[in-house]
Amino acid sequence: MGEQPGRVWVFGDYRNYFQNRVTLQLIGKAKELAQEIGTGVTVLVVGERVRQYAMEYVAHGADAVMVAEHPDLSEYRVETYTALVAEWVETYGPEILLAGATAFGRSFFPRLAKRLRTGLSADCVDLHIDPETKLLVQTTPAWGGELLAEVITPHHRPQMATVHPGVFEERPHDPEATGGIFYPEVKIRKEERIRVLRRRTRRSRKIRLEEAQVVVVGGRGLGSKAQFEMLEELAELLDGEVGATRPAIRAGWTEEERLLGQTGKSVRPKTLISVGTSGALQYTAGILGAGTIIAINRDPHAPIFKISDLGVVGDAKSVLPILLEELRKRL
Amino acid sequence: MHFSEESRISAHHNYLVNGRMTQGFVLGEPDSGDRFFFLADVVLPAESTPRISARLYGPEGNLLCEVQWNRLGRNPGRCTYRSLEGGFRILDEAGSVVLEVMTEKFPRGYLSGISGRLFDEEGRLRLEPLGDNSRIPGEPPRFLTRPYGGF
Repeated sequence: MGEQPGRVWVFGDYRNYFQNRVTLQLIGKAKELAQEIGTGVTVLVVGERVRQYAMEYVAHGADAVMVAEHPDLSEYRVETYTALVAEWVETYGPEILLAGATAFGRSFFPRLAKRLRTGLSADCVDLHIDPETKLLVQTTPAWGGELLAEVITPHHRPQMATVHPGVFEERPHDPEATGGIFYPEVKIRKEERIRVLRRRTRRSRKIRLEEAQVVVVGGRGLGSKAQFEMLEELAELLDGEVGATRPAIRAGWTEEERLLGQTGKSVRPKTLISVGTSGALQYTAGILGAGTIIAINRDPHAPIFKISDLGVVGDAKSVLPILLEELRKRL
Repeated sequence: MHFSEESRISAHHNYLVNGRMTQGFVLGEPDSGDRFFFLADVVLPAESTPRISARLYGPEGNLLCEVQWNRLGRNPGRCTYRSLEGGFRILDEAGSVVLEVMTEKFPRGYLSGISGRLFDEEGRLRLEPLGDNSRIPGEPPRFLTRPYGGF
């Protein structure tokens, strides 16, 4: 017998691979978690021709990949995938099972958790191992994002969580990496009650942050997704784009493509409106090319005011509705 | 359900055999001097081509040729080597394909498929075509975890 797969499992969501980095980000975090509980990271790679993704996951830190290749797995089908992965879990009992909070992950993981009779924390913004109990602590927004809850799964396995893209950092691609490969038996159960009649790709609006003349940026100070959505209306009224700081992305208020700063994009708009951002260097590094910077923050000592041309000291919850109302009247 | 680790794969280059990936494998005994072997050696990140060495026999157990790092060596069977885009092919005197190695390039890695019909010195079939790669009947290959090196 060879080695057994590590007990921290990550579901490999390889669709749109070079844009969708959440699996790689999860592998990075899973490595830390696995180390804490003395095991390794195994990535599940399910599909028809998935060989290059298995290699990619090893390059980004997977200790092993568990591969199922079959023509009937070419489509992401929730019922088929649930039956397949549930059987693997029941047979080999991983401690932790993670997936990205993508459209598929949000559909697939609740069904899988139900099938396995275990808990699931959705859209987590942090994960860590409790040093005493060795349980996975899953931090997830609760009450509409007003507070963060820490969830544990003490009595059932695996401990399951989905994580929003952009929360964790991916490890760099290492061409010298090697990893184990497992080919468990693939039993396809024709349980699908959904038939794919035709496929149409939704055209998503292209984000043109770098080209925008007006950029509206939201940060942690906005406090909730609902507040952040007001920025989208503000940007639309000004024919601009919405950017975000890392805390806003971690909170799941918007997609990672909108991240500005050292690990995100750099912009040079004529006007930049920064709302609820403290002005941390990691963020301001990406906006220093802006023409006029307008900052809204309730803390008069926030560093953002040092680089802004115009500052409004006030709570975004109060200022934004007034600003929107005025703009609606004038535009 | 068979769950033991069957081989290791590399982030850089792998071979496809028996429908499965491995960073390297060996059939037979490369050090034997006069018996069949087939070595698909581990490819390190500095290289982008597979490293194939072999001693190949015909179905009657007659020595056809030797291959050393993708090149023909001893060649009593008058085989020919043909370079292809993405790989190479070795043909016997009659022009039939003995061995074909084709490498698929991914954005950040390589996968080499091996196909052909290989026999040992006793005329036993040791590798045969299977879809886009090959099947190894009988004794399974030895998987490599590091470069085999010289032989």
